[in-house]
Amino acid sequence: MVIADGIELEVEGLTRRYSPQVTVGPISFDVRTGEFFSLLGPSGCGKTTTLRCIAGFETLSAGAIRLQGERLDDKPPHRRDVGLVFQNYALFPHLNVFDNIAFGLKLRRVPKLEIAERVGRILRLVDLSTLTERFPAQLSGGQQQRVAIARSLVLEPRILMFDEPLSNLDFKLRIQMRDELKSLQRRLGKTAIYVTHDQTEALVLSDRIAVLSHGRIEQIGTPDEIYERPATSFVAEFIGSSNLLAATIVERRGEEATVVTERGLRLRCAVEGQASGEGAEVAVLIRPERVQIKAAENGGTPEDNCFPARIVTVTYLGEDLRLDLELPAGQMLQGTLKNTGAARDWVPAQTVKILVDPADLRLLPR
Amino acid sequence: MTTDPTLTLGVPRQARSSGAARARPVWAILTGPYALLLLFLLIVPLANVALFSIHRYSPTKVALPELTFDNFRKIADLYYLRLFARTLKLGLITTVICAVLGYPLAYWLARVRPRLQAIGMFLLIMPLMVSAVIRIFGWIVILGRKGLLNEALAALGLEPVRLLYTDTAVVIGLVNVFLPFMALPLMAAIERIPPSLEEAARNLGASWYHVFCRIILPLSMPGLISGSLLVYSISISAFVTPALMGNSRERMAAQQIYDEVLVSFNWPSASSLALTLMLLTLGLMFSALYVTRRAARLERRR
Repeated sequence: MVIADGIELEVEGLTRRYSPQVTVGPISFDVRTGEFFSLLGPSGCGKTTTLRCIAGFETLSAGAIRLQGERLDDKPPHRRDVGLVFQNYALFPHLNVFDNIAFGLKLRRVPKLEIAERVGRILRLVDLSTLTERFPAQLSGGQQQRVAIARSLVLEPRILMFDEPLSNLDFKLRIQMRDELKSLQRRLGKTAIYVTHDQTEALVLSDRIAVLSHGRIEQIGTPDEIYERPATSFVAEFIGSSNLLAATIVERRGEEATVVTERGLRLRCAVEGQASGEGAEVAVLIRPERVQIKAAENGGTPEDNCFPARIVTVTYLGEDLRLDLELPAGQMLQGTLKNTGAARDWVPAQTVKILVDPADLRLLPR
Repeated sequence: MTTDPTLTLGVPRQARSSGAARARPVWAILTGPYALLLLFLLIVPLANVALFSIHRYSPTKVALPELTFDNFRKIADLYYLRLFARTLKLGLITTVICAVLGYPLAYWLARVRPRLQAIGMFLLIMPLMVSAVIRIFGWIVILGRKGLLNEALAALGLEPVRLLYTDTAVVIGLVNVFLPFMALPLMAAIERIPPSLEEAARNLGASWYHVFCRIILPLSMPGLISGSLLVYSISISAFVTPALMGNSRERMAAQQIYDEVLVSFNWPSASSLALTLMLLTLGLMFSALYVTRRAARLERRR
């Protein structure tokens, strides 16, 4: 991972007003040189609008975009030097692979020999050297995707942007292209902005992710931070699966707090310097894979964060098993287990013991 | 389930008869009425015209029962060559002007939201809903020697222009009616070009001019060709507009044919002119289609 200190792109208070009700922004973030930065969110969250503002297809209602310190938002789209790979690739159907990739070079009046040389080099990079004569309609989805990337890359833009580039591919190909994309970006060290609604894509590809919702940024962080320490309930629910329990803090001692959920469960959680004190209403986040499920034992001393539970359903997911658990007072909780031999012994209606490590709990503002 | 043998036998027979109904030539029913209409109103009269064109003209009997190619040989005269040259030239000018005016219009119609598109299309085909005579009368009022245009020029202290009864007036009149025939096929072609292609081109460094030349123009070529063929072929056979707005001595082919049919009663000559005009039109259309087909094939094979 190569991250220089330099800031490549600066988005400051980007706002796009479609109508008083429909507004994207204000959105602010910085993209560092060589970084793979993702905009992640559900459809309609403003991620594509943000990308289109950077590319120049939408005009800002307010705010500024700077590329290497230079104002970008007052330039027309064809003078911005930011490459964009479209969701449907937008290859020119009347041009073959070579001419598609040479399109931008010809506009820049690059000499013919140099065009042939640069296109040849980029074709080798994306492994399409044998298909130069083909037309887009004669290419598979994955090949079209690579032509689209090559067409942007050959111009050596300062930033390469992707608008959900994998969403039109089938599952297997999507994973293959995702890994190819990642290794390509790492090899070139090109600053990339990636728009997606697919959390796995964002987690796998990104150095940092901005999670968007309703035209605002909910959180910016590394994949690890976003998943492990979501800033809001929205982020917690959007990334991965989660149990979110409404609760109130009843005791706060330094790095530790005790909360009581609405259903009366008493949980001890680790807190990292959050301001919320006693009496604060919070949401407790428990990731299903952090719920530990053990065989029920009779007697024994009751431990903290340890409850008897009844298995309601067991859902077979292949790699994992998902267990719906009913805790005392009717509190429902979801847990996932790796599909190992031992885990397959759990059956519905069985009584088990569940355990949650205080460090695995997160308190989020409600 | 039934055990009655007559019933079980009846089923396949019924199936067979419905199969026969399916095999009936539906195309004949669908195209038959129009084919009959064409036969009696186009093919038969056309054959008659063809016959006239190879008979000798007689001032008293219209045509003599004597075969000759003189009617066609006569077309090599300077007068007729000029007639056809002027006709083809005016058709070409009309087509080019329609294409130039049609492209921005078609682009706007193709990209605008549906409601405005409906209104725009209605306005575009309005001229076709107005009777030719009324529409041309309107132009006469505007372009005439003391028409609105010249009065406006006079008010501005400018020299009056002579437009009515010139080729310019004819072209104005033709463009006015035939523009929809260019704009609509263009619009259909442009609608099929995804806007993301334009954005991709912009992103790769293309100005609007380059987007038009390298994306819109090549991808809407089928629309441009069919629009041009339509406008050109109906322009060179136009009669009413040149007759009412043009110079009576500087005619287009259809006026000459009209004159020879109804004024000088030289039907053999008129027939040969009509056939020549028709063959010219067909020849142009087929060669244009051939060229584009060939280009498309080459494109695919490349």
